[in-house]
Amino acid sequence: MWLYYTRLAWLSLKRHPLLSLLMSGAIALGIGAAMTTITINYLMSADPIPEKSDRLFYVQLDNWSPNEPYDEPNEPPDQLTYTDATALKAQAPAQLQTALAQSGGVIEPQGLGKEPFLARLRLTHNDFFTMFNAPFLYGQGWSDSADETGDRSIVLSKSANEEIFAGENSVGRTVRLEGKEFRVVGVLDEWVLKPRFYDVTTGAFNEMEDAYLPFKLKETMELPNSGNTNCWKMPEGEGFKSFLTSECVNFQFWVQLDSAQEKQEYMSFLNAYVEEQKKLGRFPRPLNNRLTDVMGWMEHENVVDDDAEVMMYLSLMFLAVCLLNTIGLLLTKFSFKTGEIALRRAVGATRMQLYQQQLVETVFIGVAGGIGGLILAALGLLGIEYLYGDQVKDLASLNLPLLGIGILLAIISSVLAGAYPTWRTCRIPPASQLKSE
Amino acid sequence: MLVMNNITKVFRTETVETHALKQFSLTVNEGDFVAVTGPSGSGKTTFLNIAGLLESFDDGEYTLDGRSVKNLNDKQLSQLRNEKIGFIFQSFNLIPDLNLFDNVDVPLRYRKLSKAERKERIEHSLDVVGLANRMRHLPSQLSGGQQQRVAIARALAGNPLFLLADEPTGNLDSKMADSVMSLLEEINQSGTTIVMVTHDLSQAERAHRHIQVLDGQVTEQKRGAPELATVNA
Amino acid sequence: MSQIGPIFRALMRNKVGALLIALQVAVTMVIIVNAIHLINARGDLMGRSSGLDEANQFYVTSVGYANDFDAPYVIDTDLDGIRQLPSVDDAVQINAIPMSNGGWSMGLQTKAGEGENSVPTALYMTDEHGLNTLDVELIAGENFKATEISYRDRNTRDWPQSVILTEALAKSLFPDLSPTEIVGQTVYIQSNEPLTIIGIMDHLQAPWTGWTTVNHSMLVPNKFDSPYSRYLVRAKPGQREQAIEQVEQFMKQREVGRMVRETETMTQVRMDSYRGDSALQAILWTIIVVLCIITALGIVGLVSFSINRRRRQIGTRRALGAQKADIMSYFLTENVMITSVGVLLGIAGSIALNMWLVSSFNLPRLSYIYLPIAMIAMWAIGLFAVWGPALRAAQISPAIATRNVYH
Repeated sequence: MWLYYTRLAWLSLKRHPLLSLLMSGAIALGIGAAMTTITINYLMSADPIPEKSDRLFYVQLDNWSPNEPYDEPNEPPDQLTYTDATALKAQAPAQLQTALAQSGGVIEPQGLGKEPFLARLRLTHNDFFTMFNAPFLYGQGWSDSADETGDRSIVLSKSANEEIFAGENSVGRTVRLEGKEFRVVGVLDEWVLKPRFYDVTTGAFNEMEDAYLPFKLKETMELPNSGNTNCWKMPEGEGFKSFLTSECVNFQFWVQLDSAQEKQEYMSFLNAYVEEQKKLGRFPRPLNNRLTDVMGWMEHENVVDDDAEVMMYLSLMFLAVCLLNTIGLLLTKFSFKTGEIALRRAVGATRMQLYQQQLVETVFIGVAGGIGGLILAALGLLGIEYLYGDQVKDLASLNLPLLGIGILLAIISSVLAGAYPTWRTCRIPPASQLKSE
Repeated sequence: MLVMNNITKVFRTETVETHALKQFSLTVNEGDFVAVTGPSGSGKTTFLNIAGLLESFDDGEYTLDGRSVKNLNDKQLSQLRNEKIGFIFQSFNLIPDLNLFDNVDVPLRYRKLSKAERKERIEHSLDVVGLANRMRHLPSQLSGGQQQRVAIARALAGNPLFLLADEPTGNLDSKMADSVMSLLEEINQSGTTIVMVTHDLSQAERAHRHIQVLDGQVTEQKRGAPELATVNA
Repeated sequence: MSQIGPIFRALMRNKVGALLIALQVAVTMVIIVNAIHLINARGDLMGRSSGLDEANQFYVTSVGYANDFDAPYVIDTDLDGIRQLPSVDDAVQINAIPMSNGGWSMGLQTKAGEGENSVPTALYMTDEHGLNTLDVELIAGENFKATEISYRDRNTRDWPQSVILTEALAKSLFPDLSPTEIVGQTVYIQSNEPLTIIGIMDHLQAPWTGWTTVNHSMLVPNKFDSPYSRYLVRAKPGQREQAIEQVEQFMKQREVGRMVRETETMTQVRMDSYRGDSALQAILWTIIVVLCIITALGIVGLVSFSINRRRRQIGTRRALGAQKADIMSYFLTENVMITSVGVLLGIAGSIALNMWLVSSFNLPRLSYIYLPIAMIAMWAIGLFAVWGPALRAAQISPAIATRNVYH
């Protein structure tokens, strides 16, 4: 029977080719627009580390001015001071925890025709690689002692290793960075986090770093600050040291806590730490420590761009217009079929059978619209990439779950568009349309 | 095989009640050719719709092929229409998108028949109406008389208990009308029962029985030969 | 107009069809009103002046890496050399590039002491060539003197004595004084350190284009002793291409243990800075155009069908004496009636959507001028769409009334 319906639907669509094109074209445009914006929003709000995003926590301490909060209403700063970042790591009550900082420096590759380049650096502790599941191509993270002493060990990204060592296993070899020799202990495989959740202070979708160094080098090599530095009072004293001991925040801190109990214990540890510091004259504000898991932190930092969200809502309304359009056209089209439907009823078709017949026709339109919509979405994403450039790199691509969403959206849309016209057409009493005028 | 007993049908609008049929009784026997005439608004169309199970009625008893149809649901009614009744309409009601073969196929599609059997029946019934050689044509490529022949073939293909014809020649000129009537007579002679509503008295005369409807009631019955019909009081 | 009654009654018999068009018009209008509003709001943002001579400016970055890299020496000699290039008007070392979204900010206060009210401002470090290179005009006071310029590094905590403020910043600090009166006043940085205002400049944007106090900027007579150094260059009018080439060539041929990175024109900086805004505008325009086409085609489709269905009726009317113009006006009136219902719904919807956008996304409030414009646009789209089918309806022959039609 379904085959029969399919043939009938095809004949009916063929009879009004422009109308059929208009209906599926409208659905295609609606789906295309909706899928383009849904894709962007979906990828922006994607969980970058689903296997443990609920066990990784971002640490905030409120060391801000007694006169005003860092941000209304009573928000603690979004980063830590060097003092606190190093102290939390040193006291280390959790299994895994790491401080992070952005920096930059010039790497001078050895060899003919190789130009020095400015590398994006990430200063961190060796727990970083374990906590964030960094994939190693060669070697591994540096040792605990490197964390403590600030050995000049370095982990290179895959692309930096290609730049400097033409992609060879460079573990054990040396790299010249900021005029100093570093020993390569590991090389990462391709690693892209979208969003780069561990540090979103300068934009959630920034590129990954070229190299990773022990955090301690910030102090021993006096590496420059990168990212946002915020101070509520100026460093006291002279020299680089005075910045490190100041109330200026420029450092991130993550901790892995595997159970609610661990989280509770860690919170108590933070509170005790701040109380201790208060005795030393720091932390003039009331206790306001925060532990936020990955997705909570992404939410807090407004990782999904407002414009992207507004565009998604507008494009969903756009889809609604396209559906209204198709409903209207289907309704009129089906109203021409009352004769046929009445006849089919007279010769013994049940209402159900006629529903099915009309539904097949709508699904035809929907499927054509869906396929067209996905093609348009792919084009739309190319357009977005063209318009936004690097800002949306890797955020404008369809993947399997998104294709699924697209197909589902197309089917729901076409059934929504077809339901009322079908219902209304099939409701007509069989006797009404058989007499001539 | 078709027995209507005191059928009453009332149409209600907000202001008026119209008794389309009042205590309407009629029996049609197998092999009969019954013509129903009456002025506009007499109730003959309502009779036809109820007889064809296209419309429900308010009171009375209607037995089709020994089965009371009063409390049947939509699905059962659809099945009865499909198996027992062949419809012929004034405006043919062919589906313009479908060729002749597919048009005749329509009622067969709602039955469980093998593809081969459907094909055989379609070809046979198109052959009966003399259009077997034009199976792949669309209705719009035919004259009105030919279109009505296709409709008759469609009605026959299901091998129904009886044909229900509603002004079958109303849209045709007299020559075509005559040939369609001859076809119906042939079909009747080969054993199919026919109930035909018409306003054309000359055609009504060609039937075995002629029933006149006035104000929703049977007022007069003329008998032709052979005497096969009985009338309930 | 006497047709309105019958048209309305005819419409009521096909309520759903009419309602669908009306709804489509309404949602289209809601989207268009809010989209145009957003486009204009972004246009206003992008239309703000940076205060610069963008068409002739660019910047270049120098990163020293040699162990013996002598930053002040390289910076001074670089600047001397660049300023002497034939296509260059002027050049400075600067710590932040306007519109680049990266820079320094500080708080200024009129009274010394912690906890006093402070006004945020962007901070640009330049020498006495700053005003000319940036292309900002002094409206009161004077420029830095060459002797005032000092080097600072990242660990320097104190500040030079004199500063130049934008008029907007000066007004925020001293709302009651005129620019000439503000010159000579003292403000405090880092709560307690006094600065003397020696000049007021007309206008210079902070580096952050999305900042609420984007017009608050201040020049400080400093150069920055760091291997990482940016030069802002102003070419002679119309000679930017040559200037870029000459500057790059000049810098690259100096062997001082540094790399020369990215030359970027201020035009590019502006484009990057407002990229999201211009992209949003382009996307919204696309949506508006496609939406209008879809709505128009939808109306064409629906009206064509309803005319087809009424061919015989139209023929009969013609046979009974209706003129072509009467048939046209029937369908045009019908369309205007439906569109008007849609437009009324659209007004309510537009305001509702805007209120929601304002509260959820901090977008600006809708200016009501868009509503009448969108109303006229919707009527125009409706009439435009219905025109063709109505014209065809008017061509229907009266003879059709006497013809026998089966379908």
